Amino acid sequence: MPSTTAAAEKLLLQMVDDYTAREISPQDMPMDAAGDFPAGFIQKLTNTGFLGIMLPQEFGGAGFGPEATAKALNHIARGNASTAVTLEGHFKTIDQILKFGTPALQKQLLPSANDRIFAFSMTEASGGSNPMGISSTATREGDHWVITGDKIMITNGGLAQVYCVLVKTAPQELSVFVVDQDMPGFSFGKREDFIGLRGTPVGEIVMDHIIVDDDHLLGKLGDGGKIGDSAHDDARVLMGAVLTGIMEHELKIATDYAKERKAGDTPLTALQVTHRKVADIAMRKETTRLLYQNAAKLKATGQPYSEEAAMAKAHGSRAAVSAGDDTLQILAGYGYSREYPVEHLIRDARAMEIAEGTVEKMRSAIATAEFKK
Amino acid sequence: MKIVVCLKQVPETNDVTIDPVTHNLDRRGLAGVMNPFDKNAIELALHLKDTADDDVQVALLTMGPDDYAESLREGMAMGADAGYLLSDRAFAGADTLATGYVIAQALKKIGDADLILFGRQAVDADTGQVGPIVAEFLHQPQITYAASLRLSGKNEVTAERLLEDTKQTLVAQLPAVVSVRSELNTPRYPTPRNIQLSFDKPLTVWHHDDLDLDDTRLGQAGSPTIVTKVYAPEPVKRELTPLTGTPSEAASQLIKALKGRQLI
Repeated sequence: MPSTTAAAEKLLLQMVDDYTAREISPQDMPMDAAGDFPAGFIQKLTNTGFLGIMLPQEFGGAGFGPEATAKALNHIARGNASTAVTLEGHFKTIDQILKFGTPALQKQLLPSANDRIFAFSMTEASGGSNPMGISSTATREGDHWVITGDKIMITNGGLAQVYCVLVKTAPQELSVFVVDQDMPGFSFGKREDFIGLRGTPVGEIVMDHIIVDDDHLLGKLGDGGKIGDSAHDDARVLMGAVLTGIMEHELKIATDYAKERKAGDTPLTALQVTHRKVADIAMRKETTRLLYQNAAKLKATGQPYSEEAAMAKAHGSRAAVSAGDDTLQILAGYGYSREYPVEHLIRDARAMEIAEGTVEKMRSAIATAEFKK
Repeated sequence: MKIVVCLKQVPETNDVTIDPVTHNLDRRGLAGVMNPFDKNAIELALHLKDTADDDVQVALLTMGPDDYAESLREGMAMGADAGYLLSDRAFAGADTLATGYVIAQALKKIGDADLILFGRQAVDADTGQVGPIVAEFLHQPQITYAASLRLSGKNEVTAERLLEDTKQTLVAQLPAVVSVRSELNTPRYPTPRNIQLSFDKPLTVWHHDDLDLDDTRLGQAGSPTIVTKVYAPEPVKRELTPLTGTPSEAASQLIKALKGRQLI
């Protein structure tokens, strides 16, 4: 008999596969064309309990660990990467509230994470990968804080209802507060028109003198950099999983096509040039899987996983773009057509060479970690 | 009220092979999933549980190897309260009669089931016989292939059967056995949380000695069905005549060909 954990994970993935096949995959192409989730899509996802996959059971969630959660996103991304990335943005935010929030803040916020999407926002027009470049501030006035600023390019921005926001509490001090879309002074701004992951909304929030108490501070004053780094790490593990799912999708398209198509009288499956491409796609997919699952395992067992998470995202994002390019080449004219999903899979994968830290920043982080050894 | 849903685990693939000795499906080494039609029966039971005024307890029952527990867990993750697995080497190789016998004996041990539900048939063997056999063993009224079902009184159900050219409405006194069609409902997904919580629900495994059984009715020896031959029909080779030219020319060719074969 398998362990309870393994048996539960198997049932979870079985349900995710079933749901993805019936509810998510059919929306993959329409979502890319429309640039949004279809009406009712997120509500159905919510009703089926997807938002609570990794939320501890004490808050009404399912309480799956980092490995099962990442695998679930891997399987969802086989059908549609935008859905998986929206869940990734939600899960990484919950993770920070679990790591840094007080028990009171967790009790106040987290039960609603089963029904409301959470988002983590750092980027501003004046600073993305350089957090000290941001302009948003939280100023102490009496016994409360006044938050003012403008956050852009937020994954789930406009869709999420709860936001962890990185602000300056002193000229050289970064802190994170939790704000709610229902608070006076909160409004939504522009939604980005990105070329990939087009189902996932990425947008702006404007904070105009939002007043919060001390209990909305995540961690301690000055913990902003640490919390931001942690959010990146958690997102990168999950992005490795999403990228693996994209490559599984690409590999299936490439092999299905090659098995049916001939070049002249020769089946594509008999051509060495096809072998090379298919083998490369398969190896890229498998190395990314091993990287994200290793990072998730380290996280699950309480070991450092920052470097491994960076590897999963840095390797996986370029691997998925290259795998998409090889898939496109196998399909040739059909691959270049919008009637086939290959071109949008490349656009989807390309987003992850930028989001949650550029691949250049990943490589710096990996190299720095290696120099320290 | 107590509802017991009987279910089966079936091979996940359509690519099954036949055991050359027994001529039965060879399920060894195949990953199993819950028979999809049985999910309609579970959904019906859970719908009654969700909507009935009284407390409704839903139990699941299956017979098979240890790994059939996975389908019971899945059903409990959908919302059933308990599961029973009948597992013993003595039950192996049973036909529908021997299977129905053991299930009926287990239902007697569970006791007091007001409604016993089955999916319309299993997708591996496609017989649809076990439900009616169980009803006969239990001497209970049965309704097969119900397309709708409601509790129409304290101790009765009303079901509608869709027949070839008519609808038939039947009322049965409880306890009763009902098999349901897939048109009845859309089964719910087990939520991630309910998947986890399903492992806190009771799953009872009964072996041979836990039940009151007549050994001559068990397994292959207790199965009167003899499968003499199972084979896949040879694919029919069909002649293909391409129609060429303009649509008008192609239509003329088609008419000529059909007339030539005296089809029109």
